Order: sequence, then structure tokens, then C-alpha cells
Amino acid sequence: MERENRFWRVVLLFLPLSVFAVFVVWPLFSSFWYSFTDWNGFDPNYAFVGLDNYARIWTDRLFFGAIINTALWMAAAILLPTLLGLALALLLDRQLRGARIFKTIFYLPICLSAIVVGQIWTWIYQPDWGLLNAIISFVAGEPFTHAWLARPGSALWSVIVAWSWQQTGLSMVIYLAGLTAIPSDLLEVCDIEGASPWQRIRRVVVPLLIPSTIVVIALSVINSLKGFDILYIMTGGGPFHSSDTLAMHMYNESFKKYLMGYGSAISVVLFLIALVIIGFYFRQLKRIDEIYG
Amino acid sequence: MARVTLENIRKSFGNVEVIRDVSLDIDRGEFMVFVGPSGCGKSTMLRLISGLEDVTGGTIRIGGRDVTGVAPSRRRLAMVFQSYALFPHLDVAGNIGFGLSLARTPAGEIERRVRDVAERLGIADLLTRMPRQLSGGERQRVAIGRAIIRDPEVFLFDEPLSNLDAALRVRMRLEIARLHKALDGVTMIYVTHDQTEAMTLADRIAVINQGRIEQVGSPMELYHHPANTFVAGFIGAPAMNFLDGNVDDTGAVTFAGTTIMPAQPVSHRGSATIGVRPESLRLASTGEADFVARLDHIEPLGAETLLHFDTPLTVRLNEEVPASEGDTLGLVVDRTRIHVFPP
Repeated sequence: MERENRFWRVVLLFLPLSVFAVFVVWPLFSSFWYSFTDWNGFDPNYAFVGLDNYARIWTDRLFFGAIINTALWMAAAILLPTLLGLALALLLDRQLRGARIFKTIFYLPICLSAIVVGQIWTWIYQPDWGLLNAIISFVAGEPFTHAWLARPGSALWSVIVAWSWQQTGLSMVIYLAGLTAIPSDLLEVCDIEGASPWQRIRRVVVPLLIPSTIVVIALSVINSLKGFDILYIMTGGGPFHSSDTLAMHMYNESFKKYLMGYGSAISVVLFLIALVIIGFYFRQLKRIDEIYG
Repeated sequence: MARVTLENIRKSFGNVEVIRDVSLDIDRGEFMVFVGPSGCGKSTMLRLISGLEDVTGGTIRIGGRDVTGVAPSRRRLAMVFQSYALFPHLDVAGNIGFGLSLARTPAGEIERRVRDVAERLGIADLLTRMPRQLSGGERQRVAIGRAIIRDPEVFLFDEPLSNLDAALRVRMRLEIARLHKALDGVTMIYVTHDQTEAMTLADRIAVINQGRIEQVGSPMELYHHPANTFVAGFIGAPAMNFLDGNVDDTGAVTFAGTTIMPAQPVSHRGSATIGVRPESLRLASTGEADFVARLDHIEPLGAETLLHFDTPLTVRLNEEVPASEGDTLGLVVDRTRIHVFPP
């Protein structure tokens, strides 16, 4: 019986594992290999260059610009949806009229693809007829309008706003589930002990939402590291590389300049950064699990 | 040190009335136990007193002050929950001192008072532990500590021992009784569905059924003089035996094929439910049996033996019985312990 079970386990796992191996594991190891070569993506003849690609990273001004942008992007892409999602969840967790409709409205953007979100917000930011400038023009006058995606100072932040708009709904739903899981008697202790609404949130609700926060942050980190499509559709990393992130820089080097070896070296660095963040995340997860069970 | 008064309390959830016109006076320093089956409304009564639920009608007074619409924190009471309700992210000291820290009490004073309470409860060496690292009994003590430190006038306990195993429950029961003595003058209101807890802890018990108080009295008063079959059946384990019977014009009671004149006069006449506690029956010697019954099952409990008869009747004896299942045995009823309940 056990042998038969094992046979079927192997048979049923074969296809998904094969797909995973071909499309994830093999490209991952290939990237490591190509990062030590000068491959251009087409030529079957390429040379092993050792650590040259990694050495080149240190002299690449755009790489460090992309690192800073990635850090900004990740920090904002983590903080904004997390804080906004928490605030919305706390507001909508009460028995307010219409709360259910608002929950649905705030959740809807997550159902859209990043390309669609990017296109919607590109229209909103459009300098001549976009909704944002139309509102600014109506409220404050035309001199206050701005080319949101065309100026280096505002391009990245404009994409971050669009990104947060999409991601906040997911954080909100996770926090709403977390709020439901808080035992009501813990909140009743707050009532008996005389906690103010703010003390209740700060001293009890937020700490008890730490397991949810861990999930929200983990998803935000993963999504922000993957956040290439919305940047690609809204700014393409421009203007003047002002919204270049590591993923975007890697894409440009690999597929526009055909420096596949160097692009692979950037992707390895990105992978290592993700590994450090995920390692930290798992350590925190273990600590939280010890407290909250 | 406060008297708690409930005046015509009503509570409805939607169209469902769960507390129906309850009035009750709880003396200062009294240990009052609300007892009743699951869903009878006893926990709701406690929550109404605490202010965690609003009354639909009626008035609640604590220490003579009308607190009906007053916030829970301003009622000068403390509550111990069934689940202990300890904050998992705070250590023992943080949990005990939670209320004081909310009130922005100086850190030094919080530390002193937390240590003082912890020493009284024998948990001073656990102050840096997290709730997850504590046993059930220790968690219970921490929950009590958090209640004591507020120096309340009224203590509310909502089935605090239900989550403990049988042995620990007996120990904690004793500790709560000691605590009541130690906290001289503090009124305690305790909810349980366990009639043993009610009998052993209470100064007075309120037996609640379907949102109404069936009877209020001391444990022995309820045991020996239950007002109705519900109270009689709920108080005492094993439960009182009930048999269909009749009271004739002379006051003699007929049941189980026998007629007996109770030692106390019976005012009711006509058909009735006759109640006899298991310990008010004994095996008859030759010729003295009031009636006979077939023995179905024997439960030897060590200190006592329970005999279950087909009548159906349960008899409790403080001795081992030289009889076997299937035997027909004669039984004698204690004339002083016959309860007559009008239909």
C-alpha cells in the first residue's frame, strides 16, 4: 500500500516538478553561470570572464542609482500599503453602514493586472488631459499642474502611488482577517481596564496584528521585488534613469544592450538581496511564532 | 466593598429575550454564584453587570450608584475571563500591570504593586515569563493578579476554572475561596455551570434558567429546600430522583407503588412530582421495604457506591453492596427528606 502510494506520489509530482525545474531552477543556475561569461544572448560562442561582470558593477553609476531607487521603491512599497491597509482595516472593521461596499471597492484594484493599473495611472498622470492635473488646475490653477511621469523628481513617487493604490486592498484584507482573529475578551479587558481608543489600538490591537503584519510585509517585499511590470509600463525606468530599479536596470542591460552576462550578474545581486531579506523574514517569523504560537 | 443591585433587568438580542426581568440584591462582601445550564443567560448577566453588554431595560447599582449606562472601567470592578484573556505579547508583569500602565502610573509604583500582588499569588518568580510559557493554573493566577491590582470593589469571575483539568480545578477552587477571605469585604460574583463549584464557593447561589432566576439561597438551603424541580435537579450530584406521585387529603404521599406519610406536613394536594435525593434512600432490611426495584447497574466510587435501579432511581450508599446487577432489592425512603413539587 505504502509502495503504491509512493509510486503515485512520484507520478503526480513529476509534471509540476519538471515544469518548476525547467522554468525556475534551470534559469536560476543558468543566470549564475552566465554571470561569469560575456554572453550577448545570441552568440553560441562566448567566453568565461570570471568576476569581471561583478567588478564592473562597482564602476556602474546607473547600478548604484538603481540600488537607491530599489531601496526607495521597496521601503515605500512596503510602508505605504501596510500603513494604509492597516488604517482602512481599523476603520472598516466596525459595524459601519456600507463598510462591506467600501471593502469591495478597496479590494478591487488587486484583481487588476499591473499593466492595466499602470495604464490607468498613466492616463491619470497625463500632463495635458490627465485627471490629476485637471483637478489641480480646477482647484489651484494651471501653474500648479505637473508632468508627473516626465520629471525625474516625481516619476518614481508617481509610480509608487499607483502601486500603493493597487496593493493596499490586499493588506487591508489580511489585516481584516487578523482583526477577526483577535479574541474578543482581550478587547473586553481593554474596556474594563479603561483603555482609550488610541491605547487600545497601540497597546493591544497593533501588537496582536504582528502575525498579519509579517504576512503583509512578506507579500509586499515579494511583490515589490517582482514589481517590474508597472514601472515598465509607466516610466520604463526613465526619465534619465530616475525610476530605474535593479530589475529594470537588469532588463535594460540584458535585453536592450544585449549584455546578457552583465545582466545576469545584476540578477544574481538582486537574488542575494532577496535572500538576505527572506532570511531575516524567516528569523522574525520564528520569533513571532514563539510568542504568538 | 460594594453592594450590587439588579432591578428588573432585561436583555434582548434582536427579538430574542435572554434575560427576563431579573431582580437581585448582592450584599457587600458576599460571594454570589450564578449557576445554570449552558445558554441560560448567566454569563450575559455577568456581562451586564460589568458593562460589557448594555441592558435593554432595568437598573444596575453598584455601591448604591446607578451604573446602568456607565462605562465598564468606571464601575470599579474587575473581571476574570474563562480564557484568562492574557495578552500574548506581554510578559506576566506586563499583564498584571496593564491597567496601571494605561493609567500612566509611575513605573516604580507599577513594579512595586505588581511584585506585591505576584507574591500574594505565589507567582513572583514568573514575572518575566510570557503567557505561552505558563501552565493553566499559572495563567489563572496571572488573570486574578490583573484583577486584584486594580483594587476593585466587585470581582466578576466568568467560568474561570472551566479550562483546567479536574485536579487543578479543585486546587484553584480552594485558592479562590481563600482569596475571598483574604480580600476582606470584596463582593464576588462567580458564574459557573458546575454545581460543585457553586456549592463549595458560594455564600448564596442564584440558579438561573432561561433568563430567569429560579431560586436564590445558601447552598444548603437550595439543596434541602429546592423551590422547583429545575433547582432540585440541578443542585446535587447525582441528581435528585423524580417520580410521578400523588398527595392525598391526609398529606400522605403515594409514589412507586407505596404510600408514605412525610415527616414534614405537605400543603399541596393531588398529583405531584415526588423528589427523593439518592442519599435519602437506603436498602431495606427484611420486612421494612417501602417498595422494591430491580438493580440495573452498580457504580463503585470507592468512598461511596451508586446503585441505579430500573424505576428509574439512583441510590447513594456509603458502603459496598453485597448485591449483583439484576437483583430485586427493597428500598426505604427517609421520611424527613421527601420533596413534593406541584405540577
